[in-house]
Amino acid sequence: MSGGAQYVVAAYAVIWFLLLAYVVVLGARSARVGRQVEAISRMLDRREQKDAEPDPAEDRT
Amino acid sequence: MTDSPARIPGERAAMIWGVLATILVVAATIGVFLVAPEDADQGVIQRIFYFHVAIAITSLVAFAVSCVAGILYLRTRNDRWDDVGEASIRIGLLMSVLVVITGSIWAKASWGTWWVWSDPRLVTYLIVVLIYAAYFVLRSSAEDDRKMRYSAIYAIAGFASVPLSFYSVRVAESFVHPVVFTGSGANMPDSMLIWFVVSQAAMLALFIALLELDLVGRRSERALRRLALRLENA
Repeated sequence: MSGGAQYVVAAYAVIWFLLLAYVVVLGARSARVGRQVEAISRMLDRREQKDAEPDPAEDRT
Repeated sequence: MTDSPARIPGERAAMIWGVLATILVVAATIGVFLVAPEDADQGVIQRIFYFHVAIAITSLVAFAVSCVAGILYLRTRNDRWDDVGEASIRIGLLMSVLVVITGSIWAKASWGTWWVWSDPRLVTYLIVVLIYAAYFVLRSSAEDDRKMRYSAIYAIAGFASVPLSFYSVRVAESFVHPVVFTGSGANMPDSMLIWFVVSQAAMLALFIALLELDLVGRRSERALRRLALRLENA
């Protein structure tokens, strides 16, 4: 590369890389929130299942 | 039929700004590399200018937003303004780091050295970067209300360094760092100025998109924490 084009490429590569890295960090946080929503949803499912099961003490009476 | 999930406030704005930023960044990149004429003095190296200066101005805008958010937090004690302030400084700092790195690359290509300590613009801008980097040290040293209050005060006080950097090159004797925008207008032809304006619009849209995205993430995390707490106590 002539006339300093390598410097221009380096400068824009740094810009794109760091901005992309920041977007990836934000995306990772979004994915973590998604996993937490999933965990809470599973917790609610288990709770609903438990509530739906008949109480053995009630069955005896 | 199931209910569609409720949108987090700001989700739609983040999406719109994200799309707008993407379009503008692509347009600016095409314009800077394929349409804008080559500078007669600096040649291809001058193409660093478009994004370097646009990012520098956007970083200062981000710090201004954090200052306003700090004032609004102190007046209202609303957590939302603390979120806006912290997110703005985080993005502003990222952009400042980009400015320093791309500036150094440009300096090496143009002046033959990575850094000139005698230049007021470079040194004052570095001071601004260090001041805002210290913001996160301060934030990690306090808890809850105190953290938000100290952060707001620091964001307001820290903004005093921004005009110092902006006007340093205009009042100082050193002219190593060029001044493109003066009181009489821009020192460049319209064919270059148009692509600088597009680059500037792209960076501002990117800042708003990243800010909205960050705020949506914070709101989601907060809503989840509240939900988890309610479930544990139920």
